Amino acid sequence: MNAYVVVIAVGLLSYAFRVSMLVLAARRGLPPVFERAARFAVPTAFAGLVAGSLVTSASAGRAVAPVLAVAAAAFAVRRTGSPHMALLAGMPVLWAVTAVVAH
Amino acid sequence: MHSDTRSTPTSSTSTRLADFIGGARSTVPWLFGIAPFGLVIGVSAARADIPLFAGWLTGPLIFAGSAQVATIELLDTHTAAVVVVIAALAINLRLVLYSASMARYWHEMPRWWQAFAAFLLIDPSLAVGADGYDTISDRRRAHRHYLGGAITLFVVWVLAITIGATAGSRLPSGLQLEMVIPLFLTGEVVHRLRDKPTTCAAVAAAVVAVLATPVPLHLGPIVAIAAGVAVGLYMDRRDQ
Repeated sequence: MNAYVVVIAVGLLSYAFRVSMLVLAARRGLPPVFERAARFAVPTAFAGLVAGSLVTSASAGRAVAPVLAVAAAAFAVRRTGSPHMALLAGMPVLWAVTAVVAH
Repeated sequence: MHSDTRSTPTSSTSTRLADFIGGARSTVPWLFGIAPFGLVIGVSAARADIPLFAGWLTGPLIFAGSAQVATIELLDTHTAAVVVVIAALAINLRLVLYSASMARYWHEMPRWWQAFAAFLLIDPSLAVGADGYDTISDRRRAHRHYLGGAITLFVVWVLAITIGATAGSRLPSGLQLEMVIPLFLTGEVVHRLRDKPTTCAAVAAAVVAVLATPVPLHLGPIVAIAAGVAVGLYMDRRDQ
């Protein structure tokens, strides 16, 4: 029963986060600082998540392949301008470096 | 780039469907990373010392992978309920910024639509939606693009968790599919580094995320976002 209460509470409060700024915007309009900050939300959140996942990989004893894969992905996207190149460049580098390190 | 919406009912219907499918298509690259992640969450929900249905319910109710993992893991170790809720919400605090990010696009839509769209708001749907609002000039078509991507994501997510929870599928670990999401996120970040403030904001967030790893309650990501946004705002003001 306790597990259900926790899951429902987290679900409802997460939903409150999702609608919070929509409600605020409807009532008062978004504060100008939020308007300016919002454009940085995606790049900062995603950069933070990538860095966090690399730290997790490093703490699991395998840092080289993930770091090189992310570097290859960033380079490929920078060169081509296509975000989809991240996977096409990153995964083969990840597999190749993992195989080399394993030997 | 996109045509006006004043058209015949038939073509209007087909345009709507095309917008929806376009959004779903843009979500496909995400699904390669998300489906295995959902399977893993389903398997861990089945193995945790909690009712299977409660673990499964994290999918449709919380709809945020990292927060779901934290909730299931902490419940499994019999952590106090308040701590579980705080930890999961700390991870999901970024949703407030995502909400602010979408408020500028959604403010003219009916409340029921906003309520539904917000329910589906998470990293991949934000990325697909933001791309749509950047590239599709007709706002109504961009809304349908967002919904197409977000609904596809939700359905695949819940399906993957269901399969993982019931069939207990084993993923080939050699494929290292857990790296698909970080790599895809890398593409989404680098693609957006079009000016100095954004670049500085992203770099600052990455550095702080590494430094903030020991911060308790999984608060590292939100500290990193806050630091990155602060740097971005500072650089933006300095450049003006």
